[in-house]
Amino acid sequence: MGWGFVLPALILLLAMNLFPLIFNIYLSFTNADLSGGLVKSVGARNYTVLFGDARYANALSTTALFVVASVSIELVLGFALALALRDRVPGKPVILTVLLIPMMLCPVVLSLFWNLILNANYGVLNQFLGFAHLPQPQWLTDDDLKLVSILLVDVWMWTPFMMLISLAGLNAIPKYIYEAAEIDRASRFMVFRTITLPMCAPLLGLAVLLRATDALKQFDLVMAITGPNDASTQTLSTRIYQVVFRDYKVGLGSAYGVVILVAVIAVATIFVRYIDGLNKRQGKAEA
Amino acid sequence: MAKKPVAASSILVGIGSVLALGAGCQKQQAAAPESAPAAPAAAPAAAKSLTIWWAQWAPADGLQDLANEFGKQESVEVKVHQIPWASFQDQVFQEFGKNQTAFDIVVGDSQWLGRGATKGLYVDLTDWLPSAVPVKGLHPLALKYLAEYPTGSAHYFAAPAETDAMGWAYRKDWFDDPAEKAAFKKKYKKELAVPETWDDLRTIAEFFSRPAKKQYGNVLVTGRGYDDIVMGFEQVLYAFGGSWGDAKTMKVKGALDSADAVKALDFFKGLLKFAPPGGSKLGYGDALEPFVNNSSAMLMNYFAFFPDLAKKMAGKVGFFAMPKQGERRFASLGGQGFSISTKVADSQKELAKKFIAWFSQADTQKKWVQKPGGFTANAEILKSDAFKKASPYNAAFAQSMDIMQDFWNVPVYNELIAATAQQIGEALDGKKSSKDALSELAAEHEKILQAAQ
Amino acid sequence: MNPLRGLVIVVYFSLATLPLAWLALTSIKTYDDTISARAKFIPWADNASTAEAAGESARFAPTLDAYRNLSRPVAGTPNDFYHYLGNSVIIGVLSTLAAVCLGTICGYGFSRFKLPGTKDWLFFILSTRFLPPLAVVVPVLVMYRWFALENTHLGLILLYTSFNLSLAVWLMKGFVDEIPRAFEEAALVDGYSRLRTFVRVIVPQASTGMAVTGVFCLISSWNEFGFAMTLNNYDAKTVPVYFAGLQGNIEGVPWPQIAAGMMIFVAPIVLFTVLVRRHLLRGVTFGTIKQ
Repeated sequence: MGWGFVLPALILLLAMNLFPLIFNIYLSFTNADLSGGLVKSVGARNYTVLFGDARYANALSTTALFVVASVSIELVLGFALALALRDRVPGKPVILTVLLIPMMLCPVVLSLFWNLILNANYGVLNQFLGFAHLPQPQWLTDDDLKLVSILLVDVWMWTPFMMLISLAGLNAIPKYIYEAAEIDRASRFMVFRTITLPMCAPLLGLAVLLRATDALKQFDLVMAITGPNDASTQTLSTRIYQVVFRDYKVGLGSAYGVVILVAVIAVATIFVRYIDGLNKRQGKAEA
Repeated sequence: MAKKPVAASSILVGIGSVLALGAGCQKQQAAAPESAPAAPAAAPAAAKSLTIWWAQWAPADGLQDLANEFGKQESVEVKVHQIPWASFQDQVFQEFGKNQTAFDIVVGDSQWLGRGATKGLYVDLTDWLPSAVPVKGLHPLALKYLAEYPTGSAHYFAAPAETDAMGWAYRKDWFDDPAEKAAFKKKYKKELAVPETWDDLRTIAEFFSRPAKKQYGNVLVTGRGYDDIVMGFEQVLYAFGGSWGDAKTMKVKGALDSADAVKALDFFKGLLKFAPPGGSKLGYGDALEPFVNNSSAMLMNYFAFFPDLAKKMAGKVGFFAMPKQGERRFASLGGQGFSISTKVADSQKELAKKFIAWFSQADTQKKWVQKPGGFTANAEILKSDAFKKASPYNAAFAQSMDIMQDFWNVPVYNELIAATAQQIGEALDGKKSSKDALSELAAEHEKILQAAQ
Repeated sequence: MNPLRGLVIVVYFSLATLPLAWLALTSIKTYDDTISARAKFIPWADNASTAEAAGESARFAPTLDAYRNLSRPVAGTPNDFYHYLGNSVIIGVLSTLAAVCLGTICGYGFSRFKLPGTKDWLFFILSTRFLPPLAVVVPVLVMYRWFALENTHLGLILLYTSFNLSLAVWLMKGFVDEIPRAFEEAALVDGYSRLRTFVRVIVPQASTGMAVTGVFCLISSWNEFGFAMTLNNYDAKTVPVYFAGLQGNIEGVPWPQIAAGMMIFVAPIVLFTVLVRRHLLRGVTFGTIKQ
């Protein structure tokens, strides 16, 4: 009986997700081309090319670097902001809502606009820096800074996400624990280290996992700010775009897809175990 | 309570609603322009249409204007669909993957000929072209680069549509200003005039480079999205004695990484010192901005962009052809040819041929050159005085036609371009020395060419 | 209040809102003012004596031309901004409706029935959200070629529906879990069929949840780029793809129009964010954290 309710959604999901993945595996063993033509099997050649390609390793490390950097910066900033906002602040609901807007906006559209702000020739950021007699770096063309520019936009967009979850974590700490600590005359730092942080840790962990899985998919920002073929910012997704839509190599692109799929399954498993652990802990706490 | 009806009805509701909504949307969409192969006989006098895909720029507007005349003549609706340069190539080749393409004619870049020919995407025009188009009257370089594959084989897969080359626009008012002239003469002991050699150009760029006042000497085309940086660098590479390699032996080492080539890249890098900030990553369209906002003295770009400049900055702007290095003078070739898609109905292919034949007639060509950005391959028109005087940039263009040079047009040209854009880009960004960038690039090119054999 | 805290809040608030303020300012400038070498941020023109002085000043004359020009196609593009906005609306709304309907039905099923393998199914549904679109786009593209779904509204609607289903199912399951079973049990005892119970009892109770889920699904479809760009690149284009395609435009990127278009594009999202602000935490964490 329950199957009747559940089946329509499951069928659609299977058709649009499972079938493509299986097809992906098949395609990765062929020499399929974007412009059509005869599809021939080439054995495991796509995989040997993939793993031997320096650009694959580069994309992997760039993606990893991006994920680690963006998530950690967002975590620190978001948590700091949540600490500042946890108690009574005049106009708090308004401030919170306004702060949460950037993460709901369209990444591509915003990055296009950030190009205008970061432009080395007439961008307002560099003009402001010049006005303050600070150096005016070339955000969008300097090799070392391109990834920083992308990080900048990503941090701007997603710090509110970390702040939101941190606030939830902070607000969940019951007041009586702090009162007990005050009676014991614990220093502010001690309180932070032994009460605040550990009690927030589970939710912060969840936030980190959620953000990390999103950051792994990073495509929009890179496309809009540097384009897909830039060695210093090419993440895995943009590498696939380059391979499939610029080099027209569908077979190789599918091989990349399969490799990423394996990584994603690993991450998803960690995620679900973590949520399970969270739920169990919540269950125990309430018991 | 029967289990099945609930299950069945919920599935039906779910799928049915989505499909119904979708079907409604399909009807709302504009009808696809290609005619169904079997339908015409049954359908009542359906209006014929011809779809042409080109890049988004002024010549495409001109083509649409001109094509409307053909349309009236033949009661056909001709639609020119424009796609920005950065995604033009990708969209075309992705569309070719379908069983029937949305376009009948694609005005493809010269480098695409190899891919289009070998993958059976372009209709072979070898037998038809000489009879329908005045081939003898075309400029030889235009025919060679825009229509032939392999180059020089007299096998045709396109008919020249638009010729183009890279040239320079400059601030005539700044060059003519007496104060500037005096200062230049004082500093360099020569007259401030349109540069004849690359060194002259460099001197002038240096003179006008005043970053404190937000003034810059020159703007180069260095975008990485498509072939911008490749074309920008190509003419300097050849002028200094380097080359992309030998087309017959597919050897690249020795040509692309020679001492001359390294000198060329270093020189190109040196010119960037006098470019506006961010000047190492300017695409064709982006490069216009620092010139139009009155901060740069000279701009390198394709002639097809110059009509708009001449209009926007009338009286302030002049044009000149590529300078030389010693006796070598080259301009990167532009220009596209009409190629007919093999993935449309035969009746459409015939219609496309009719259009191309009409377009290539001398009368139509005379009208074509009057459209902003419309450049012809017709040699007679190019030589005529009337053409040279018709606009401020035509004389420089006619001169450039004789010194054109193109990139590889082999089927794997897209990988060659991507590798070139990346390596040269890294050299310009200061990440590698010119020597390293070019040696690595030469090795990469040979690998790509060999893998494609 | 601790001055340090106040400082942190003020600094961050300004950093967060300044780009948006710049967006608004850009939408009321002329093209020349947006790329002028001297940034202009005071929308109050004084009558500057010379053109040079006007170039140097931080003032500009505000104009609504950018908004008016939105109804005219940009050079070289076949349609104006509103056409693409219409595409985004059609695709976004229809995929949201479908996702919410299917998701509610499915969420109810998982919530109320002890189906074998529920945990695995839910895991599978969640994992579809983790897939980078680009890893899946290749086979989807080939599939769509068989069914001629490339560059159609239906193609993207189907894709977005399935994409949003994971969010919809998880969120709605959470919302349905919170509805006391007593209501249904009373209805069942009264002789209502399961389906009728669902429609008459659950749906009204879950309507807030459905609205919240709908908002998040809509935002997700509204902002999506990866699939839209690769599958619908010349027809049935959505606004993000349209804007991205204006890069490198022959007559220069029309910044004021892009800014004006962005203001309009972003307005519904801002409105919805404000409307569901109480459920934001739940929505962005897939319903795993309920406040």
